Amino acid sequence: MSLKLTTQAYCKMLLHAAKYPHCAVNGLLVAEKHKKKDSPRDSVLCVDCVPLFHGALALAPMLEVALTLKSRLIRPGNIFPVFNCPILIDAWCKENKYVIAGYYQANERIKEARPNQVAEKVAARISENFSEAAMIMWKCREPSTDCFEDWIEAQKITAALLESKSYESLVDFDNHLDDLRNDWTNPEINKSVLHLC
Amino acid sequence: MSSISELYDVSWEEMRDKLRKWREENFRNSEQIVDVGEELINEHASKLGDDIWIIYEQVMIAALDCSRDDLAWSCLQELKRQFPDSHRVKRLAGMRLEALERYEDANKLYDSILQDDPTNTAARKRKISILRAQGKSSEAIRELNEYLEQFVGDQEAWHELSELYINEHDYAKAAFCLEELMMTNPHNHLYCEQYAEVKYTQGGLENLELARKYFAQALKLNNRNMRALFGLYMSASHIAASPKVSAKVKKDNVKYAAWATSQISRAYQMAGRGKKENKCSVKAVEEMLESMQITMS
Repeated sequence: MSLKLTTQAYCKMLLHAAKYPHCAVNGLLVAEKHKKKDSPRDSVLCVDCVPLFHGALALAPMLEVALTLKSRLIRPGNIFPVFNCPILIDAWCKENKYVIAGYYQANERIKEARPNQVAEKVAARISENFSEAAMIMWKCREPSTDCFEDWIEAQKITAALLESKSYESLVDFDNHLDDLRNDWTNPEINKSVLHLC
Repeated sequence: MSSISELYDVSWEEMRDKLRKWREENFRNSEQIVDVGEELINEHASKLGDDIWIIYEQVMIAALDCSRDDLAWSCLQELKRQFPDSHRVKRLAGMRLEALERYEDANKLYDSILQDDPTNTAARKRKISILRAQGKSSEAIRELNEYLEQFVGDQEAWHELSELYINEHDYAKAAFCLEELMMTNPHNHLYCEQYAEVKYTQGGLENLELARKYFAQALKLNNRNMRALFGLYMSASHIAASPKVSAKVKKDNVKYAAWATSQISRAYQMAGRGKKENKCSVKAVEEMLESMQITMS
């Protein structure tokens, strides 16, 4: 079972990290809903990503606002008490027939690539709803080229976007909470990626 | 490549004022500072008067952020020449060593400042930053605690400590730091809201109720704080859903959550103004409102 990233998903992840080089960043990866429900997939293609937060990643409330999770009883010490309520990203997923398939995180320190408590909990929650969920932790090495739908294209387009400082206009969920008019689906960047393809 | 003044049609005075604004508000928009500052220094140095020294300092720090060691070095040289024995300049030299990951050398520099002047807070804070950069969180926390015993009014330090505790998932101690900040800044809605987030993350009924109260307080201080509004909704919803609360508490919290939902909906309507991209969010909030009405009965 392999994971593949489209150029769009990869670019937006990278731009998110590039916009906040001094912070930890995280976000979600989405895949298209599998048409054949009974047969398992041989590979998961993450078609897009939703950049979530930068800075303090270890706080629960806004992360819950961003995700949709099944209802559970509140337990003392449970870092993520949850409530059954479709919010925002879930609604967007439903409209586009996406499913949340993975989570990415880039830590504050480039040398520290271990997933922390937050990463593990989010990944666990996601895998409750999507059994083939993936977690991507950013390291400072070159990624393996197998996980790209088209590595050469991805490299070329990312370089162009970084050169033109497109990351300045990337919107994550934090930016959206600062000003609701900021669109976390990043349609302009999607257009730029398409344009460069 | 065209200059900033050509690209944005600004005068050197406007560029200088922008730099001042960024300095005063402590922005970390280092790439912009480098672009604007470098041009100002190269083209208009003679017009800046004494402002140039603080601009050299600001641009130098931004240059370190952008891996522009060439620019950082030249700014540092100018400052060294003008202020040969200054501790402030020495600290900048230390920061450059930090940027080059020469932590041992940086520490030596800071230690020499502290030998000369044991009350130099800047050097102490840089040493703590080095610990943080090296991933030595527990040591950084210990040192910062010691620092705060002496310099109990240093708000930047309290905030840094709260961040360190949050990263270590020690929410109780993070809450304590934020309480200090709220005491000295009772009108700051951001501290209130962050405190509420920490309480919420700690979990448990009592903490959720506290969280809800502080989200509400943050809203009172700034009714456009969306995080506080969402936080109010989430905490009230959780309290209402808890099997441990009385019927009255449940009813009250459902009311609070419903109010929050209507405010969120209104905020999205005002932001969306019919834009296509926001229709998704508006629809989601409408669904939220509907689900609230079902649980209210």
